[in-house]
Amino acid sequence: MSVAKSKRYVNIIDTTLRNGEQTAGVVFSKHEKIRIAKMLDEIGIPEIEVGTPSLGSVEREIIKEIVEDKFNCRIFVYCEAEPENIKYAARCGAKNVVINISTSDIHLKEKYKKNRTWVINKLRETIRTARQNNLNFIVSAEDATRSDLEFLLKIVSLAKKKGAYRFRICDTVSKFDPFRTFLYINTISSAIDFPLEVYNHNDFGMATANGMAAIRAGASSLVVSVGGLGEGTGNAAMEEIVMALRYLESIELGIKTSKFREIAEYVARASSRAVPIWKAIVGTNVFAHESGIHADGVIKNPRNYEVFDPGEVGLARQLVVGKHSGSHTILHKFKEFGIELTDKQANEILALARAMSIDLKRSLFDKELMYIYNEYKKRKISKREEQNPED
Amino acid sequence: MREIDLFTEFSQKAGTEIDPKNVKIDDTTLRDGEQTAGVVFANDEKIHIAKMLDNVGVNQIEAGIPAMGGDEKKAIKKIASLGLNCSVLGWNRAVKSDIDASVECGVDAVAVSISSSDIHIEHKLRKSREWVLESVKTCVDYAKSFNLYVSANAEDASRSDMEFLLKFARIARDAGADRLRYCDTLGIFDPFETFMRVKDIIDIIGIDIEMHTHNDFGMAIANAIAGIKAGATYVNTTINGLGERAGNAAFEELVMALKYIEGVDLGFNTTLFREMSEYVARASSRILPTWKPIVGGNLFVYENESKASGVLANPETYELFKEKDVGLKRKIILGKYSGVNTTIYKLNTLGFKISREEAEELAEVVRDKSVSLKRALFDSEIIDTYKSYKGRGHIKANKKKVNQAESERSNVSSKK
Repeated sequence: MSVAKSKRYVNIIDTTLRNGEQTAGVVFSKHEKIRIAKMLDEIGIPEIEVGTPSLGSVEREIIKEIVEDKFNCRIFVYCEAEPENIKYAARCGAKNVVINISTSDIHLKEKYKKNRTWVINKLRETIRTARQNNLNFIVSAEDATRSDLEFLLKIVSLAKKKGAYRFRICDTVSKFDPFRTFLYINTISSAIDFPLEVYNHNDFGMATANGMAAIRAGASSLVVSVGGLGEGTGNAAMEEIVMALRYLESIELGIKTSKFREIAEYVARASSRAVPIWKAIVGTNVFAHESGIHADGVIKNPRNYEVFDPGEVGLARQLVVGKHSGSHTILHKFKEFGIELTDKQANEILALARAMSIDLKRSLFDKELMYIYNEYKKRKISKREEQNPED
Repeated sequence: MREIDLFTEFSQKAGTEIDPKNVKIDDTTLRDGEQTAGVVFANDEKIHIAKMLDNVGVNQIEAGIPAMGGDEKKAIKKIASLGLNCSVLGWNRAVKSDIDASVECGVDAVAVSISSSDIHIEHKLRKSREWVLESVKTCVDYAKSFNLYVSANAEDASRSDMEFLLKFARIARDAGADRLRYCDTLGIFDPFETFMRVKDIIDIIGIDIEMHTHNDFGMAIANAIAGIKAGATYVNTTINGLGERAGNAAFEELVMALKYIEGVDLGFNTTLFREMSEYVARASSRILPTWKPIVGGNLFVYENESKASGVLANPETYELFKEKDVGLKRKIILGKYSGVNTTIYKLNTLGFKISREEAEELAEVVRDKSVSLKRALFDSEIIDTYKSYKGRGHIKANKKKVNQAESERSNVSSKK
């Protein structure tokens, strides 16, 4: 569908286990963390961020176990810029770290209460420690989208010169729309030839769109999480980015998407946050059709209202009978039950089903449809008996 | 490289200022929202939602589908007779009898909807392009004969052949349609292409455009904004993004994104947003996720030390708007990611004064407890934890031992 059909490769780094867990109120157990890491690895996610070593000994033990497991994906741990934090990371056996520091003046003034020179020195110091410990590192600029562009470019240059693996631009407060994201990333990547990664929040519902805009502008990597789990409104959802890349940009990451529903459910349970039934890509309602027009369209040809097959993300299509249903849905539904209805019967049953749905203020269960059908048949028979008493 | 230049150009064009007077909201919670599989509003709920939308300042309400008859028709009739400030629109297929039903309800505006994509024309309608154009012409004409405001809806516009879509728009315009609704029925476009297509229609045909976007790939809001940047004047939203499949562009997200990202203030009373969202969530039997953009209950709840410290120093470090702007409350909780600043703050709000040193130790106890409980702590648990910590006193010595043991262990393993 896209104008810019690129065949290039895009990286994703999943942070469900780090920023996802950082969500207020969310805590994964050791077993859950390891299970989620395995699931992400199995479906082919190339990189994962698994935790913050400076948090404490329990967290470090978990990280150590994941690092020592033989995964195919590259495993990162997260450190606020501080040499001490790097030492914790090294102690867990981590080989790759994300070094995070805020670069916006408002964060420097209000959060760190320091100046720009302090940021540069802190970063240099931390990078030195990382290099001494033979760690591969990403430099992450928090609140990059509210930072002075010249200062940000200075930090990108520094990261490049010191041999960083990649540079991360964080839209910490969701300041940008896709057009602004495009211009910003394009400006940075035109100024300095260095791999960029973009981290988005969903405060205005644009995390995925901004991620995709960044890819168009030349970023090579996106930070994602399962179901978008993350602080506040969360991050760009892994499943949305993978499917948007596949269907909107024709960029294939080779990820086993048929496991998406299963992973989404697992993370939902582990984080005690149900997957909303309307969640894009993996919600159970995404392939549920009730309205006459939509259901009829889908019965005739699923491509009328579906871009991809539900099986592709581990879901199933459902036809729901309710207030907005049409007679085609009734015919189709009963065919599934092994009952062939005439058009007239379907219309009469439809009227009964709609009335019941309005009365119950919801769609009907299959069982309820059968009750309606049985009553309808009984009434028909008794009517016929009334009309032909001698029968 | 030409592609990049092209998009840079578009992005710059798209960065121009938008006049708030040119952006109107047509909310379809009551039509597309209710059309969601499994959702049914009671008539009283429909009327209440209509009143809330009018009160908050929307320009138009899409009240339902008159052709469904029965209760639906009664509700629309009632809403049209409330004397609201906003316009009330009835949704119709491109069928004359549907329009008659709308007229009977007393609405002042109608949408006449028909698919414009070949895939829909061939597989759903099982008709031809000519038939579609003829239906548009006849029905727009017919609706205009009742002096109604008419929106010609091009369903599946995003998958339609552009040439044909332009023809569709021209015929609608010439028949007197007041606007064209551009339906991204499957949510299949990204903002850049949406921008280009909408701009083409406006430049070539010169008709008002309404954006109707879906969230199948998480881009409903971004696409609606792309449309506005291209010159569209209406957006079709729903409260909470309620709608078929992954839903529509959420009313509250669009209004706030326009205000805080695009600098376009529609002048709505945003402090009512949380209340409205809660009402619709209950009426549709769909829980409002705590992380829902703009109105989620947890959006101003902080646990992570780094973020919370920033917010405590100055909320602007992490917030573009204030909690009370949308009817929410700010709160600090303690859990696995807590540290000194948040612990001191939290204990203060609970009525205890503690030193930084104490807070450091207590934070560690809190973190461990949170890990073992697999959640953040309740206030009463924090107080309990603090009291028993105070009672013990010798926690420091224990901590030293643990640290020693750990560093010994890691020494051993690094020797391996």
